Formats: sequence, C-alpha cells, structure tokens
Amino acid sequence: MLHQELLIRLCRARDLLRDTEDPALSVRRVAARTNMSVHHFIRLYKAVFGETPHQCRVGARLERAKYLLTVSDLSITDVCMAVGFSSLGSFSHLFSSRVGLSPSAYRRKFRPLVRVPGRLPPELAPGCFSLMS
Amino acid sequence: MKIKLNSILVDDQEKALRFYTNVLGFEKGKDIPVGEFRWITVVSPEGHPDVELVLEPNANPAAKTYQQALFEQGIPLTAFEATDIHAECRRLKERGVQFTMEPTGAGPVTIAVFADTCGNLIQLYQPAGE
Repeated sequence: MLHQELLIRLCRARDLLRDTEDPALSVRRVAARTNMSVHHFIRLYKAVFGETPHQCRVGARLERAKYLLTVSDLSITDVCMAVGFSSLGSFSHLFSSRVGLSPSAYRRKFRPLVRVPGRLPPELAPGCFSLMS
Repeated sequence: MKIKLNSILVDDQEKALRFYTNVLGFEKGKDIPVGEFRWITVVSPEGHPDVELVLEPNANPAAKTYQQALFEQGIPLTAFEATDIHAECRRLKERGVQFTMEPTGAGPVTIAVFADTCGNLIQLYQPAGE
C-alpha cells in the first residue's frame, strides 16, 4: 500500500522530472533522491502516474515547448534548447509525432490567439468545462 | 433541474479513457472533439445510464494546481460506490492499481482509496448493510 509519506516522495520525484532546466537529473538520480531502487521506482511511478519517469520528463518538456512557442519570442532553436533538448532534429521529430504539428506550425496556429501577452489563449487553457467554469 | 454529470480532471484524456474503461470497467459514453480537447464521458454499466463522468482536461493551470494539491494531501477527487468493496479492491489490485487506503470501516461506510494514473486519488465506498 502507498502510505502518505511515500505518495509525497513520488510527488517530489514528479516535480524533479517535470523541471525542464538543463542539465536535468537522470532518472537514476531522481530514484536515489526518492530513496528507491531504480527498478522499483520506475515500476511504482508507472503504476501511480500512468507513465514512466522518462515519459513524464519528455511530456513536461513538450508542454513547456508548447507554452514557449505560443507566448514567447524565442526562436524554435532557442525553445528546443530551453526545454532541455540538444538536437533540433530530434526535438522537431518528437514534437511533431506527439503533438501532430511541427513546432513552427504549432506556433503559427496558436501565437495569433494570444490575447493577453505572456498568457496562454483560452483555447489552450479551457475554462468552459463543467467544474472549471 | 437534474444532476447528471460528475467531472474529474485528468492529465491526459486518452490515457484516462483507457484507465476508466479497460481497468475500472466503465463504458465510453460521449466522445466529442472540442477544439484542442475532447468532451469525453464514461458511464458505469452497473449504475444509471444517464449519469455520466466527464474526463476533463487539466490544461487550465488552476486545474493542475487544484488537482496536485489534493493528490499530495491524500484527498480523493471523487468517489464511486461499490457493492462488494473487498472484491472490487482485489480485482483492481490484480490490474496493478495502487491503493493509498485499504478497505477501512468509517462509521456507516467502508472506504478505500486508489490512484487513477491520471493525477487523482479516487475513493471507493460501500454503505453498511449491502
């Protein structure tokens, strides 16, 4: 069973994995900070959060990239570097396959929708669903 | 006026649909594209067919903050009723679901809490006498 203390350690691990600063801690080091063996950490993390620590990290980086492409003036290369990818090619490939649009197409689609500078447009931060209205 | 919808925040709607159908055993109700997201509902085959659970994206930053704070405090976002909570918990554990509370007597109900793999804790409860 997951005790509260263990649940909180897993949440702290998730915070570390979502931190898009480079260089990021390796999954091995995040596991060590969580006081778990790597194998046990990956297995438990997946069971609780529905994705592996690595998938969580990649997902957080792509989310951050989507945000920067929409609200910042950074070039696509700078966005790629800012979210911790070292190769523009692998960033663009991964972004396109996960998001369904290339980084530049994503920017062209959502950048014009920004109404308040520095804030995501409502299309990307839904407020019309039942509880978050 | 009627109450027909309950709503739950999820970090990934596709992953949520898989968990709520394949693991929990609910059935897909509606699945309607809404811009970048989807209006997805699931229905319990054991419950009223017109009471639906909305799998709502947590893309709004306020939703993420709320969801994460509840999770870290061990507080379930919603609750589902079980007719045999012990059997239900065994079934879910066999499918790899992680519990933060084993079935526990709490006055007139027995409750248990599990992680839904989408950023939430969910309570199961069984009223006494069932």
